Order: sequence, then structure tokens, then C-alpha cells
Amino acid sequence: MNRSIQPGPAAAVAAPEPRRYGSVNWLGVWTLYLKEVRRFVKVATQTILAPLVTTLLYLAIFVLAIGGAVHKIADVPFAEFLAPGLIMMAMVQNAFANSSSSLMIAKVQGNIVDVLMPPLSAGELICGFALGGVTRGLVVGFAMWSAIILIIPMGLHDLFFVLFHAVAASLMLSLLGVIGGIWAEKFDQMAAMTNFVITPLSFLSGTFYSIGSLPKFWYGVAHLDPFFYMIDGFRYGFTGHADGSLLAGVIALTSVNVALWMVAYRMFQRGYKLKA
Amino acid sequence: MADLAPRRFGAVNWRGLATLCLKDVRRSLREYRYSVLGPVISNLLFLAVFALALGGTASRVGELSFLQFLVPGLIIFAVCQAAYQTSSESLLFDKMEGMIADTLMAPLTPVELTAGYACSSAAAGLITGAAVAVPMLILVRLPVASLPLILFFAIGGALLHGLIGIVVGLWAERWDHYAAALTFLVIPFAFLSGTFYSIRSLPAVAEAAARLNPVFYVIDGFRAGCTGHADGSTTIGALVVGLIVLALGSFAHRLFRIGYKIKP
Repeated sequence: MNRSIQPGPAAAVAAPEPRRYGSVNWLGVWTLYLKEVRRFVKVATQTILAPLVTTLLYLAIFVLAIGGAVHKIADVPFAEFLAPGLIMMAMVQNAFANSSSSLMIAKVQGNIVDVLMPPLSAGELICGFALGGVTRGLVVGFAMWSAIILIIPMGLHDLFFVLFHAVAASLMLSLLGVIGGIWAEKFDQMAAMTNFVITPLSFLSGTFYSIGSLPKFWYGVAHLDPFFYMIDGFRYGFTGHADGSLLAGVIALTSVNVALWMVAYRMFQRGYKLKA
Repeated sequence: MADLAPRRFGAVNWRGLATLCLKDVRRSLREYRYSVLGPVISNLLFLAVFALALGGTASRVGELSFLQFLVPGLIIFAVCQAAYQTSSESLLFDKMEGMIADTLMAPLTPVELTAGYACSSAAAGLITGAAVAVPMLILVRLPVASLPLILFFAIGGALLHGLIGIVVGLWAERWDHYAAALTFLVIPFAFLSGTFYSIRSLPAVAEAAARLNPVFYVIDGFRAGCTGHADGSTTIGALVVGLIVLALGSFAHRLFRIGYKIKP
């Protein structure tokens, strides 16, 4: 048997070159986004069904406990006033939970490198994480709405305001979640942010009552609270009743989103608490 | 050289029991931000939201103002939820980290294990409840009707939920399971049992169903002690709560005895 040694075929092929993208790595962003969405869909019981049940419980409790005494708030029947507030509350809490827990767990478990190593720019990272949170918020919101309209006759006054506030509010909380997730080092700190900042703000910003019933000082404060505008504008989309100025709301939400985006961008760009 | 001999106990290993009990109380207090401050804030939020949503309307339940009706419900709800969380989180955490062996190796009988976990979670629940009660009682005055009823139903409710926590903690294999039991079982039972409203305002069928719910008796009995207002009978309530605690206790004991999901 005569075996001559021949050069392998590999030697003939040129060395692999780095992959090229245009100005945006679309495939990378899409993959990160899909990862974020699949992450919450996989545990849908916890991420969609649980908030649905909790929010329906709130609805039942408030209607049973208060519906007897308070029939209408500003000419809107109490249950119809309450429903948009509750949907919005569920949406923002879930949008926040999605991006914050994803980053937090990735940091604690060390698999954040899998996100930092791929060729994704700071803007692309924010897009992936934030849009994942927005998707969760919108899915939860839609599920809530589908369940609630079976029980309560919710009208639709202006679709634009419903959609704008749903997306802007989910985006805002999702970006806050990105920032919180990067900042927090322990689950304690994350829980503290949820318990002492996000939940109080979403509870006290007019989800359950018209801010007209607040004392004068707090009525003024409420107008500085972006949570108030998102609930108020969203409610306007369903009922046609708004406590504050709609234009101010749209401007406030847009500018807060831009500001949060820039903060998150800066954090990813510098690798704040992410890179050595 | 002294002879090495196994340590001897009487019928009950009191020191072991006390150590097990203190372990979880300390664990709960160490994470006070989560276990104590969290419930204080969230229950004050509930109070604020209800007060604001009612606005100026003078809603009354029986002879009580609505807030007087609400406060005992919120306090006992905090007690029950904290008790559930203490035992279930402790067991599940120890199981997942493999530390449960430290508890199982110690010379503790299943009765002592059950009693230790139940007492520590009840104590942690009562501590959280007391912390929730203080700011609320400053804001809302309650005409205390009967201290024995308050103590009986606070302790009964805490034990009941501590025992549920033991069963869930032993059964659960992941945090998902723990969260599911909390979201779909413990919170709905408490919310729908008259924490926030009188069950007399319910439709007849729902009211009858609420009267079959043991958590209703815990809340109603505690409220009767705090305010004198009861939607049901406190005697029946005391019997129901006592019997359920015994039944859950023997069930939890059986799980510890057969080593359900904790021994190979």
C-alpha cells in the first residue's frame, strides 16, 4: 500500500474573514430580542397568567369594596374608570420586571458575557432588551384587556392614545428596568426598587382614583409624575375622560423615554458594572 | 479520657426545637427590608389607595367606617402571607442549596421538625403583622373589642399559613412552584375572603362559598377581636381554624416522616 501524503484541502482556502454588517447588526438585534421574548414565554404561567390573576383580583376587590359607595368618577362608572388603570399598572410592572430580571440574572450567573461578546453596539443591546420588555408589557396588557371586556363594558374612545400610551409606558419602564438591572448588584436592591419605587408610583398615580380627589399639594405633585400621564392618557383612550393635559402627557412621556434611552446608552457604552 | 456517648434528650429535644425555630426567625429578620418593610409599605399603599378612591364618601360597613373595617383585614393578611413565605422559602431554599441535610441530620423527630417550622413561620408572621399594625393604628383608631380573639386568630392564621408553607416548601422543586402557589392559592384565598370587603356585599352564591373558606374565618375572627364587627360566627370560626391547623399539622408531620422529596 502506497500512501502519499497530500496537502489537505484546507490549505487551499483563504483564512476566514470577519462577518460584515451594515450600520446595524439586524440579525444580532433580532436574536437578542427573540431571546428576551422566549425567556418570558417559556414561563408564561409566571409572566402572563400570574399578573392576569392578580390584576383581576384587584378589580374584583375594588369593585366589591368601593363600587357600592362610589358609583361614578367624573361621569365614568367606577369599574370602567378602574379597568384601564389596572391594565396599565400590569403592563408597566411586567415591562420593568422583564428587562430588569433578565439583566440581573445574567449578571449574577455570569452569562452576561454571552450578550457582551457578540458584535452588538450599545444601541443594539438597548433595543433588544427594551423591546423584549415592551413586548411582555403589551402581551400582558392585551391579555388583561381580553379578560376584562368579558366582565366590564369597556368602550374605545381614541385608539391612538391607547396605543401610544401602551407602547410609551412599556418602553419607559422597560428602559428603567435596563438601568435598574445594570445598576443593582443584589436581588435585594432589585426588590427594593420594585417595592419602594415602581409599585408605589404605579399605585399612587391615579390607577384607582381621580387625582382630583387628592389634597392640593399632592394634586400639584401628580402633574410632575410621568406615571400619572401614562395612566391618564391611556384611560382617555378608553373612556374619553382625562384628568390632566393630553399634550403635556405625550411630551412628558416622549422626553422621559429619550432621557432614559440616553442614560441606558451611556451605561452600555461605558460598560458600567458590566465590563472590567 | 471521657467516654464519648450520644447526647441524651428527654421525650422532646427542646434545644434542637428552639434552635430550628430561631433559625428561621433570624433569617426573616435579617432580610427585614424584604420581609418586614416591604409588607409595611405595600399595606400602607393599599390603605392610602382605598382612602383616596373612596374620596369624601362616608362608606360604612355595619357601625364601622370603611377604613376601620379595612385595617384589621390588612394586618391579618400581612401576618398570613409572611408566615407562608417564611416556611416555604426556608424549606425550598435549603432544598435547592442542598442545606436541608443540616436540618435532617440533626436529632429532630418529624413532630419536632413540624413544630419548629410551624412556630418559626408563625412568629415571623406575627412580627411582620405587628410592624404593619403600628403605623396603621396611628392613622386609624380601632375600638379593640377582645384581646383573646385577636391573639387566637392571629396565631391560628399564622400557624395555618405556616403549615401551608411547609407543605408547599416540601412539594415545590423550583421557585416557579413556590410563586404559583402564592399567586394562585394563598393570595386569592386571602383577597376573596373578606380582607377588603364584607362578604355580605357578595351575591348569595359567592357568600355561601366564602363561608366554606377557612381563611374567611381567620380574617373575620381577627376583625371581630379588633373591632367587634363579625360577618360570621367566631365560635364556628375558632373551631374551623383549630381543626384545619390540626389537619394540616398532621399532614405536614406525615410528609416529614416519610421524607417526601427530602430523603432518597
